[in-house]
Amino acid sequence: MRSYAAGRAALAVVQLAVLSVLVFALTSLLPGDAADLRFTETLSPEQVERLREQLGLDQPAAERFGHWFGQVLTGDLGTSLISGGPVVDIVRDSVGATLVLTIATLAIVVPLAVALGILMGTRENGRLDRTITSITLALSAIPDFVIAVVLVAVFSLKLGWLPATWIGGDLLTSPVLLVLPVAVLLGRTVCLLSRQVRAGTINTLNADYITQARRLGVPRRRLLFRHVLPNAAVPGVQELARTGDTLLGGVLVVEAIFAIPGFATALVDAVETRDLPVVQALTLVLAVAALLLNLLADLTCNRLVPRSALLK
Amino acid sequence: MTIVAQVRRLSATAGHAVLVDNVSFDVYAGQVTALVGASGSGKTTSALALLGECGNGVQLTGEVVVGDTTVVDSNGVTAAAAAVRGRVVAYMPQHPGSALNPARRVGATLKELERLHHPGESVAQEAIRAAQLPGDRDTLRRFPHEFSGGQRQRVALAQALTCRPEVLVLDEPSTGLDSVTRLQLANELKDLAGQGFGILLLSHDLDLVRELASHIVVLNAGRVIGDVLPLSIDPPKPGPSTPGKPLLQATKLSASVRPRGRTPILYDVDLTVRSGASVGVVGRSGSGKTTLARCLAGLHERSTGNLLLDGAPLPVLRKRTREQNRRVQYVWQEVRGSFDERRAVDQQVARTAQRLRGLAAEQARAEAVATLARLGVSAMTAARPPSRLSGGELQRAALARAVLAEPDVLICDEITTALDDDGTALVVDLLNELKARGTALVWIGHDLGLVASVTDHVLVLDAGRVVEEGPSARVMTEPRHELTQRLVRAARLGREPEPPPKLPTPPFDTADPRSEPRR
Repeated sequence: MRSYAAGRAALAVVQLAVLSVLVFALTSLLPGDAADLRFTETLSPEQVERLREQLGLDQPAAERFGHWFGQVLTGDLGTSLISGGPVVDIVRDSVGATLVLTIATLAIVVPLAVALGILMGTRENGRLDRTITSITLALSAIPDFVIAVVLVAVFSLKLGWLPATWIGGDLLTSPVLLVLPVAVLLGRTVCLLSRQVRAGTINTLNADYITQARRLGVPRRRLLFRHVLPNAAVPGVQELARTGDTLLGGVLVVEAIFAIPGFATALVDAVETRDLPVVQALTLVLAVAALLLNLLADLTCNRLVPRSALLK
Repeated sequence: MTIVAQVRRLSATAGHAVLVDNVSFDVYAGQVTALVGASGSGKTTSALALLGECGNGVQLTGEVVVGDTTVVDSNGVTAAAAAVRGRVVAYMPQHPGSALNPARRVGATLKELERLHHPGESVAQEAIRAAQLPGDRDTLRRFPHEFSGGQRQRVALAQALTCRPEVLVLDEPSTGLDSVTRLQLANELKDLAGQGFGILLLSHDLDLVRELASHIVVLNAGRVIGDVLPLSIDPPKPGPSTPGKPLLQATKLSASVRPRGRTPILYDVDLTVRSGASVGVVGRSGSGKTTLARCLAGLHERSTGNLLLDGAPLPVLRKRTREQNRRVQYVWQEVRGSFDERRAVDQQVARTAQRLRGLAAEQARAEAVATLARLGVSAMTAARPPSRLSGGELQRAALARAVLAEPDVLICDEITTALDDDGTALVVDLLNELKARGTALVWIGHDLGLVASVTDHVLVLDAGRVVEEGPSARVMTEPRHELTQRLVRAARLGREPEPPPKLPTPPFDTADPRSEPRR
C-alpha cells in the first residue's frame, strides 16, 4: 500500500517534468510573438528586432526553456509581456473565481451524483432508474449556453431573483452570484458522474462477494454502504478527477456568459495577445492541478479497493 | 441424531420448467449428507433453498425447516428466511476465493459477522483457528488479494464458521484441487463434522462423497433417484502396448516464465514416447506439468533443450509445418476458451480434418460426428454452440478435435477433470484404440491412480523437476520419492484400503448423466 503511493508519486514527478517541457514547447508553437503583435504598426523591423532581443525572444528554445524552468522552480513565473506586472498576480486573480466555482459545483455534484447513482444502480432498469437516466441525459445533451441563457432569461430578467452577471458584484458579500453558474455546470457533471456510480453499483451488486455476504446474513443497508459502495465508487472517483479537471480549466462559455473573471478568460486573453509567460504559467498551473487530481484519485481508489492498483 | 435441516417435497419451478421436483432429505448434526449428481441436476437449487434463496422467476414450494425456522412453505419463501442466513445455514460457494470483497480487510468482515450473529462472543478467533489461519493482527489487517489462492479459501471458510451455523453447505469443494490437497480437504471436513456442524456436501466427486458422507441423495434432472452411490468402475486399463520406435524425444528440456531463463519453472526434463506406447506425467498443481506439455506442443517458447520428432528437430509451434502440426496434437485443460462461441461444436471439430488432412467438408463432418458419438456426445448436442455444452462435453469435443488430425503424438493435459467415471472410460477406450494403431500418448494428470492405470511409464514432477520415474505398475506399488508416496495415498481416497479391489467390470451405461446442457 505504502509502496504503491510512493511509486505513484514518483511517477507523478516524472509526469510533471515531461509536462513542463510539453507546455513550453506547445506554447512556443503559437504563431507570432509578443513583439510582432504589439508594435508592428508603429515600429520599424529593426526596432522590432531590438525589442525581441530585449525580451529574450531571440534565444534558442532550449536556452529559453532552461531559463524559464529555473524560474518556475523558484516560484517566479516571470513578467507579463503585456501588462509588465508579475505573472503570479494574473494567475492568482483568475484562479480565485474558478476555484470557488469548482468547489461549489463539486460540493453539490458529489453527494447528488452518488445518491442518484446508487438509487439507479440498485433499481437497474426500473422505473426510477429510467426516469433519472432520461433527465440527466437530457440535461447533459443541452449545450451549456442554452441552459445559461434560459436560466438568465427566467431568473434574472423575468423574475429578477438572481444577478445575471458578476460585473460589479463581490463573491464575499453576495454568494448568490454563484447560483446560476453552478446550476449551469451541474447538468453535465451530475450526469457523467452518476452514470459511473450507477455502473459501478450494478457491477458490484452482481459480484460473487456481495452474493456471499448476503448469504452470510449481512443486512441490506450495511451491505450497500460497507460492502458495495467502496467498490462501486472506484469508477466514480476516476470520473470525479476528470470532472474536477474540466471545471478547473474554467468553463469558457459559463465564464463568458456570466462575465466571470476566471481562468479560461485569462487564458484566452493571454493567447490572443501572445503573452507567452502568462500562457505558459496558466497552462502549467492547470496541468499541475490535473496531475494532482489524478494522483489523488488513484490514491483514493487504491485506498478503497487495494486490488485495483494491481490491475494496472 | 439431531436433524438440523429438513427438506420435504421441495420443488422449484421457473415458468413451465421444473428445476427441482419433489426432493426430500435431512441434514444431521455432526454428519455429512451428500447431494450427488451431475451439473444441472438441481443440487445447488436444492441447497440454496435452505437459505430461502432462489433465482429470479423461480418459485419454491414444499417444506424446508432449518433449526426451528420454516424457510420455505407451500407459498414459497417465508419472511423468516432472512434470519437464518449465516446464523443457521452458511453456504460456501464453488470457488470461495472469489467470494471475498477486495475492498475489505479480512478481519473487518469477520468482526462484522461476529457482531451480527453472536455479539459479545469471540467466535471469530475460534473460526480462524478452525480454518487453520494465523490469527495475528497482521493477518487480519490484510486484504484478500494479499493471500494465496488456498489461503483465500480458508478465509472464506473462516467467514462461514464465524456465523457458527448449524448447517454448513459446501458446493463442490474439491473442484480444481490436486489430489494431495483434496485428501487434506477430506480430513478437514471430517474434523468439522466432528465439531458438530451438520454438513451438506454437494459434489460430483464420488470418491470424496464415499469417503465422507453418512447420508447420500443422488439427484438426476431435479429428481431424487436413489440413496446409494453408483458402483465404482474398475480403474481403466492401459490396453495392450506395442512400443515401437521412439517418436517424440525431449532431452534436457528447461523452461522459464520470463525471457532469457529468468524465473525457471522446468529443469532438464528428459522424456521419450514410443509409437504405440504411453507416458504419464503426474504432479501437484504448479509442478510444471502443463508447462512441459506446452513445451512439447511448441507453445512455450521460453524453453531450451532438444525436441525431436522421428529423429528430426521439432521447432516451436509457429515454425512448424502443417504436417508437423498434424502429427503432434495437444488437448489442454481449459477447453472452453479454445472454441469459437458462434459456431457449432461439430463444425469446429471437423475443421481439423479439413485443414490438416485435406478431407472434404462432408467427410470431415461425418468423422467428427462419429468420433463425438464414441465419446458419448450425441450429434444433436454437438450441433449446438459451445456455450450450450457442459464442461465435460466440451472436454471430449476438444479431444475429438485433436483425434481428427490423426496425430502421431497426442498430448492430453488433464482431459478428464470434468468427466465422471463413465465418461473417463469412454475417453480411455478411444485412446487405447489410437495407441494400438501406433499413436504415442502423453497423458498428464494430478491423479496418480488414474494416470498410472492408463499408461506404461510414469514421470513424477515436483517443482519443475522429475523426482521419480519408472514403469507405472512399479511406481504405484513401490513409490520411492516422498511426493509419490503421498500421491499414491491420495489416489486411494474413498476407495478401499489397499490393494484396490478387482471387481468384475460392470457393463457401463453409455448414456452419460452429465450430458445435459449447462443451462
